[in-house]
Amino acid sequence: MVNKMFRWLKKNRSPEKLKNLPELIRNLQDSGDFLHYESKQQDSSFFIYYFKTLVHETELNDHILPYLVEKPLKTLEDIPERVPIPGVILSSDLKEICEKVMRGFVIIRLNANATECALIPSQVKKARAVTQPEVEFTVVGSKEAFVESLDTNLHLIRKRLPVHELKAYEVTVGKLTNTKVVVLYLDGIANVENVNTVKQRLEDINVDQIVDNSVIMQLITDDKNSPFPQLIDTERPDRATSVLCEGKVVVLSDGSPQALIGPTTLVEFFSAFEDYFVNWIVASSARLIRIFAILFSILVTPVYVATLTYHYELIPKDLLSTLVSSRQRIPLPPILEAIFLELSIELLREAGARLPTKVGQTIGIVGGIVIGTASVEAGLTSNVLLIIVALSALASFTTPVYRMSNTIRLTRFPFLLFAHLWGLLGVTICFCFLIAHLLKLKSLGRPFLEPLYPLRVQDLKDAIIRLPLKFQNKRPIHLQSEDTVRFKTVTEKEKNDFHE
Amino acid sequence: MAGPEVKDQYKVSPFLVFYLVHSVQVGVGVMGFQRISTKYAGNDAWISVLAAGLSLNLIIFLIYKIMMKEKGDLISLHHNLFGKWIGGLLSLIAIVYFIAMGITVLRTYIEVVQVWMFPDLNKWIFGTVFLLLVYYCLSGGFRVVAGISFFGVVIPFYLVLTMIFPLFYGHFRDLLPIFNHSLMELYEGVKGASLSYLGFTTLFMYLPFIKEPEKSHRWAQGGHLLTVFIYTTVMITTIAFFSPEQLQKTIWATLTTWKIAEMPFVQRFEYIGIASWALVILPNLCITIWAAGRGIRRLSRVSQQNATIPILVLILISSSLFARRESIDLLNQYTSKVGFYFVYIYVPFVFVFQYIKSKVGRSG
Repeated sequence: MVNKMFRWLKKNRSPEKLKNLPELIRNLQDSGDFLHYESKQQDSSFFIYYFKTLVHETELNDHILPYLVEKPLKTLEDIPERVPIPGVILSSDLKEICEKVMRGFVIIRLNANATECALIPSQVKKARAVTQPEVEFTVVGSKEAFVESLDTNLHLIRKRLPVHELKAYEVTVGKLTNTKVVVLYLDGIANVENVNTVKQRLEDINVDQIVDNSVIMQLITDDKNSPFPQLIDTERPDRATSVLCEGKVVVLSDGSPQALIGPTTLVEFFSAFEDYFVNWIVASSARLIRIFAILFSILVTPVYVATLTYHYELIPKDLLSTLVSSRQRIPLPPILEAIFLELSIELLREAGARLPTKVGQTIGIVGGIVIGTASVEAGLTSNVLLIIVALSALASFTTPVYRMSNTIRLTRFPFLLFAHLWGLLGVTICFCFLIAHLLKLKSLGRPFLEPLYPLRVQDLKDAIIRLPLKFQNKRPIHLQSEDTVRFKTVTEKEKNDFHE
Repeated sequence: MAGPEVKDQYKVSPFLVFYLVHSVQVGVGVMGFQRISTKYAGNDAWISVLAAGLSLNLIIFLIYKIMMKEKGDLISLHHNLFGKWIGGLLSLIAIVYFIAMGITVLRTYIEVVQVWMFPDLNKWIFGTVFLLLVYYCLSGGFRVVAGISFFGVVIPFYLVLTMIFPLFYGHFRDLLPIFNHSLMELYEGVKGASLSYLGFTTLFMYLPFIKEPEKSHRWAQGGHLLTVFIYTTVMITTIAFFSPEQLQKTIWATLTTWKIAEMPFVQRFEYIGIASWALVILPNLCITIWAAGRGIRRLSRVSQQNATIPILVLILISSSLFARRESIDLLNQYTSKVGFYFVYIYVPFVFVFQYIKSKVGRSG
């Protein structure tokens, strides 16, 4: 425990130039919100120092100061005994004092030159209220989402998992921001190796500022040069809880309304959390549609370019006449036509994402309809391609994880170039590159393409399709859980006959 | 010389041997093996194909017997059986053979693409991109190679379904009368069919990378049986579909049968087929080049990366030098001849030699 405390203390910026406590206090007085005054009583007096922007002043005046003034203070040791608040410490360590006062502790000294002081915690806790999830909204199911406060987020998970096995390992990351990061896992269920990998990678982080959990994601991810996300982020506490039960590791960080989940697999990016709320047949078909949508979104424009550039013999006569008549007036080769449309869709999306919500919608409609129709009428693009590009853009938005849908849209462009180069052959070669890349990826050291490769039939129960809950009684193999059985299924013997 | 020590994290499960064996066999051979086999065995060529296949089951059995005794790879086997110099020379020949297989596969595929899809395909650029792809796969280690061979079997497997189309037009009476060819003619047919079966000798190199290699035996046999099944089916369909004279003039019979496949939204299916075939060729190249690079790494102190890059350049240059149809055919013939002797003569010889040596060593 002590070791742990000192480890993160060492990482902090220390007031090296300052030699003693009076100097530190003089230094702190440079800030306007640093308050200091002397509390005088009949026969004794003490000094109080704190940042009024960090300290809960009502609490200080109502619940701390009365205990200090009721009897005269003789020594500093009296303070922890009198103040009925846990966490009061005595210290003469400059680093610790500095760290604590910046976290909302109140310094109390008995005289103006003392080098030892008491530190009383009285942080002001301001946090946004728990709101509805916006990115991963589901029609049924919990309507709570993570907020920026780490304590609230931990509370949201702890109240769903009231077991002592739920461990929260704390690391402080970032030389300047000193962000608290918590690794959550179920002891005895999560694989120790996975947990240690996450802990190790967090401790190896050496940056000054952690803006958000996404930064941590980029810093601890396996292959930093891959456009594919290898950790899932979620804003749903129920999703975080349910993956904890599976044996995964969750990372929360202070100031970020997102939890990171690892290790993950590619198929998990295409499963929405809502899949678990509906019947397995409905959920499975939704997943199949999503996977079809992804393939469609990546491949359809390249295939259009490939066929119309090189292999129009592929298309049967009747279909070909439709295509030819739509492309009759187009002066551009298919690749330019496709890139023009794809880029305008990307422009619309980017403009929509940067603008305020209400304006953004207008841009989408105006851009989509007006530009689309106008470019067809002007003879710049064929209407068949317009339909294809619009559909593939739509299809890319079916991906439940936002980061993945960005990747999917990006993947289309190399495919387009290869399709222009060598037609369908180019598409296959680009596809091979994609497969090789995915094969190389790992998430916290576990294969990313599992359960497809390495093929694990047991894990297919919750991959491309989702089987009924009674089949979900084992934890996924790729997590190498310490306890592989989730629950025992009691199967009642049914008579194999029609009901009478 | 002891066998290589491979860390557990780089090993793959035994059942992947099924895909490794199958994917290295099915390559360019299946596109046009019919002509060479039927040249001698005529309408009985399917018996040759079946017989060649089943006899190779025995050879795989021998390979496993040898390797289970050796507990290493081809390099350490040669070293232990024949000593440092002769063994090293034999290993070098095996490496050259693997490289030659790579050249054959790449060059034949480029030829197919040039003839069927893009007559003016720049073979240098295409070869470079394809070999870059191979390098990208190889840089992920054997795990990725095995993965590529897995997907190289699973994803293009739908192509088997296209063999249904020629069935509608085939005359299965062409198969009759059965056994109207002499054993000698059938044997020549076996020889002709063997190129399409070759490549599984790479087993010698990657067995140390398999977890519990003894368990992978049945998977290797299974992968090979799948190849036998596919080839025999393709052969029967081809004999039924083509007339003997036509077949002798058809270099790529399988591709020609694709031409008649027709669906509501697709005709001229061979474009899709040949494009998908890149996914079948890739594991083929990956495994052979991996085996060659691995061999050099084991023979010398060169790292596998430094060994692979010159091999890739060599394959690119030499495959581009074969420009004429006749020379490509010759390349195919020679590779298949060497492979034929490697499999049918060298492997049994090594088996017997190892057996005798172990007996002599024990008594002496």
